[in-house]
Amino acid sequence: MTPDYPALLHALLPEASLVLGALILLGLDLVPGRGRTDAKRMRTSATLGLVALAAAVYHSIDAGRGGVAFAGVLILDSLALGTRVGVLGLAALTLLLMPGGSRIRNPAEYVAVVLFATAGFTLMAVAQQLLLAYLALELASLSLYVLAGFDKTRPESAEAALKYFLLGGISAAFLLFGFSLLYGLTGSIAFPDIARHLGGHEPNPLLIVALVMVLVAFGFKAAAAPFHLWAPDVYQGAPTASAALIASASKLAGFTLFVRLLWSGLAPAAGSAASMEGAPGWLPVVAIIAAVSLLLGNLGALAQSNVRRLLAYSAIAHAGALLLGVMAAGSAGPAPLFYYAATYGLATVGAFGVISVVERAGPCQQITDLAGLHRRSPLLAGCLLVFMLSLAGIPPLAGFFGKFAVFAAALKIGGLAGPIGWLAVLAIFLSAVALYYYLIVLKQALVAAPADGAPHIAVPLTSAAALAIAAALLLVLGVFPSLVLRIVQ
Amino acid sequence: MNLSPLHLCLLFSSALFCIGLIGALCRSNTILVLLGVELMLNAANLNFIAFWRFGPAPSAETGVIFVLFSIAVAAAEAAVGLALVISIYRHQQNIRLQEANRLKG
Repeated sequence: MTPDYPALLHALLPEASLVLGALILLGLDLVPGRGRTDAKRMRTSATLGLVALAAAVYHSIDAGRGGVAFAGVLILDSLALGTRVGVLGLAALTLLLMPGGSRIRNPAEYVAVVLFATAGFTLMAVAQQLLLAYLALELASLSLYVLAGFDKTRPESAEAALKYFLLGGISAAFLLFGFSLLYGLTGSIAFPDIARHLGGHEPNPLLIVALVMVLVAFGFKAAAAPFHLWAPDVYQGAPTASAALIASASKLAGFTLFVRLLWSGLAPAAGSAASMEGAPGWLPVVAIIAAVSLLLGNLGALAQSNVRRLLAYSAIAHAGALLLGVMAAGSAGPAPLFYYAATYGLATVGAFGVISVVERAGPCQQITDLAGLHRRSPLLAGCLLVFMLSLAGIPPLAGFFGKFAVFAAALKIGGLAGPIGWLAVLAIFLSAVALYYYLIVLKQALVAAPADGAPHIAVPLTSAAALAIAAALLLVLGVFPSLVLRIVQ
Repeated sequence: MNLSPLHLCLLFSSALFCIGLIGALCRSNTILVLLGVELMLNAANLNFIAFWRFGPAPSAETGVIFVLFSIAVAAAEAAVGLALVISIYRHQQNIRLQEANRLKG
């Protein structure tokens, strides 16, 4: 069998354009960029990065939904297409927000690493085999560790990166060990073959060990409780643009890979959580992780006075809701999950974008640092309102419809007869708790008076454009959710 | 008890994984934590080789190729890890994890 290399190239052109863009960017910065000011280099790098991302979007759409490619290693379906475009869009928003944000030294290297991470995300979207899944995940993770520690002047950044790296490294080892057991049990590393070999067998102890290890690893990557310990520290310490990327694009790509691995590779070992008796498998374990994440995330966020840590705990809570979407994907398809993850990513990038612009005028760590934002910059306050209300799930914003779609899909599985239904009810109740802490942030931004001597904030044009795009998308997708749902069906 | 070579390999790799995990969780020296993580990764590599060698279909080279890739990834991971260790050393003049506690709440 000779592999079909032209088809492989066609399928992987998005990643190729990202990597080529990063290399050209590094080369250009090395020779002609020397001696220029940081601001100029930042503008050139961000522009080149956006061009590479645009080329990747074009090639992703061009590659289309050709189905399985390269002997089953890659899958180009509508979920892969949607995730690729979504991840590239979120990375583009991050890059747009960068020149107007806090100063980053060595901007060309920063943008290049962002492009490498994005290549990892898009590969995660198309992986249909354990080896490619592992490599894509590690490419993305290693790039994100570097991005988290990029600000060498602040000890917090180094500490955040170190914590992220150590926990991420342990989780990668768990993932590899779980994959090795799956390979040993089934003799194959392609998802469909694994499913075929697992079907018809009783779950044996080794399979349970493998499942637990894979779930632990993905729990780490998705910041689901009880494996969430790194998230608040990283969101707080990392440079704002890095935190935005970690919170948005990496979530979307990670959950796409997770749902593909679980439902197309390990579906025979799913067990059941639709009724109270249940059957052993990964569904009950995911249900427990989701419940703990929902509780811990929402209750933990209440105690926060730091706005970044608050966003981190809200991310943990959203990870719980997303896991609910993963469980519902078996019957309802991945569309609700994708819609939720994509719109959550948009709102989070926007919230971090607002923080990064506020940081130009002074530190923005505590919630009180946002006080009087409506006087200091009405545009920022308005955008923050949209993002926070979308995170809280207020109609007509996209966050509401994402929650609605996921909870409806979860309730359809077995009604209130089983844990999944009750989990959805719990998530709905905790949404009310979540509204409270989002409103605390909004109260500071929209009602409280500014601190004495707090300067007016000038919003750079690129940042204003990025924030406006994110807010408009949240509104449009909230009113017309079928725009996204139809693509991913 | 009669143990096949595959069982022995799996027992050995599980022990290696546990030693690595305990090392990664209990050590306070960052480099030793890194060492623990590498041990865990190598335990997984050993699994791949064992399953490939003693598995039902040793003709396909999947296991070996997977290990080659994962060794390369582990090398990249060590490079990033050591870079981060250097960056934390520049700020606190040592690499003890207990002293990296600025972020909390």
